[in-house]
Amino acid sequence: MSTRVLTEFDLLLPASLEEALDMLERERSAVTVLSGGTDLLVAMKAGFKTAKAMSLAHLRNLDFLAYDSGSGLRMGPRTTIAQIVDSADVKQHYPALWQAAKIFATPQLRNTATVVGNLLRGSPAGDCSAAVSALGGTLVMASAQGRREVHVDNLWVSYGVTARADNEMAVELRIPAPTKGTVSAFRRLTRVNEDLAKLNVAACLQLDGSTCTGARLAMGCVAPTMIRLPSAEAVLTGATINDDTLALAAEAVQQDISPIDDQRSTAEYRRAVAGVYLKRTVQQACGIA
Amino acid sequence: MSKHFVTLNVNGEDHDVVVASNKTLLDVLRDQLNMPETKYGCGTGECGACTVLVEDFTAINSCMTLAATMDGRKITTAAGLQKGNELHPVQQAFIDKAAVQCGYCTPGMVIKSVSLLAKNPNPTEQEIREGLEGSICRCTGYLKIVEAVAAASKAMAGTAG
Repeated sequence: MSTRVLTEFDLLLPASLEEALDMLERERSAVTVLSGGTDLLVAMKAGFKTAKAMSLAHLRNLDFLAYDSGSGLRMGPRTTIAQIVDSADVKQHYPALWQAAKIFATPQLRNTATVVGNLLRGSPAGDCSAAVSALGGTLVMASAQGRREVHVDNLWVSYGVTARADNEMAVELRIPAPTKGTVSAFRRLTRVNEDLAKLNVAACLQLDGSTCTGARLAMGCVAPTMIRLPSAEAVLTGATINDDTLALAAEAVQQDISPIDDQRSTAEYRRAVAGVYLKRTVQQACGIA
Repeated sequence: MSKHFVTLNVNGEDHDVVVASNKTLLDVLRDQLNMPETKYGCGTGECGACTVLVEDFTAINSCMTLAATMDGRKITTAAGLQKGNELHPVQQAFIDKAAVQCGYCTPGMVIKSVSLLAKNPNPTEQEIREGLEGSICRCTGYLKIVEAVAAASKAMAGTAG
């Protein structure tokens, strides 16, 4: 184990999507897919072993980012966090995702890391994962057999494990278009800005005046995977957003989370701040900060 | 372990190299191309000592980039910034403002500053500090570095950069 020397592996560099899917079909679990690689390379330097790694670096046209007011946002598996930050459409229509991307890691890592990679890493701490969870994204998985869609609610199975089959590759992320009254926001708690989160929250609400008619709330670093917050969502749905209902939602969060002690924080601290951060995130989304 | 034939365009010159699959761009620059100006710091994308530019002005961590994935790409290191005997305005500003102590972070810091100014030619102090996140200096306390980037921004105003 060394941060200087990577363990040995074979690198596959498919030149087309078809070739990539054929390789996955053949290699299955022997191969680890690498897009930006900002997480995988650190893992490999920390002792994670893989016989083969398949890089998407030579695949063309997979770094698209397109917004349509009807069909929503589409991006590819090579679309970087920096592209999200630079997108006026994302900033305007998907504040939660833009805010998560804006403070994601460092400028160098934002130039390399991808949103789809963040989702498929299956980390409970992924900033873009929180945002995409709240915004209700769907991944399109492709294999040599065909394509299927996996909604973000069904993506994370357990720590580091996703619903992606070992012969599949995510080829697109879709996020529905906001409608009138859709608001969203993201917040993260760290010691310094470059850190991974101690806790992160994303909220996407459907508002009719000050009444919340629908809520998708996601919180990270409080369970083995990124999670939705069903108890807090139930409190807010149908309610008027005010100090009283936010206090109730903040309290309800305790039923939804199961944090642990780790190198970045403690379970006790996470429980203490979870409600506060949820409240502030909803306020930020509603513009009542 | 697989080996890969790649052509890396480093500082305007093509280099044909055979790289092992587990070699990072940093490994190849330092050990195979004998270009030691790009530094190894943490190896995990946190300190920024290994920062290089790809395709003009995109700053990346060379310690986190597999060399075999960089075939045909244009890479600029700190040693590739000067034109002939003339230092890049950012390099000159780091000297003029004494924004260097031990110097280990300096190549990455200079590269990062060039990238920052390419995107935002007239940054505020706050924007400079945010733009330099991901590049760590353990000596200076950053004040002189921030001043140097501001001075370079002024020096570059009205020039092609």
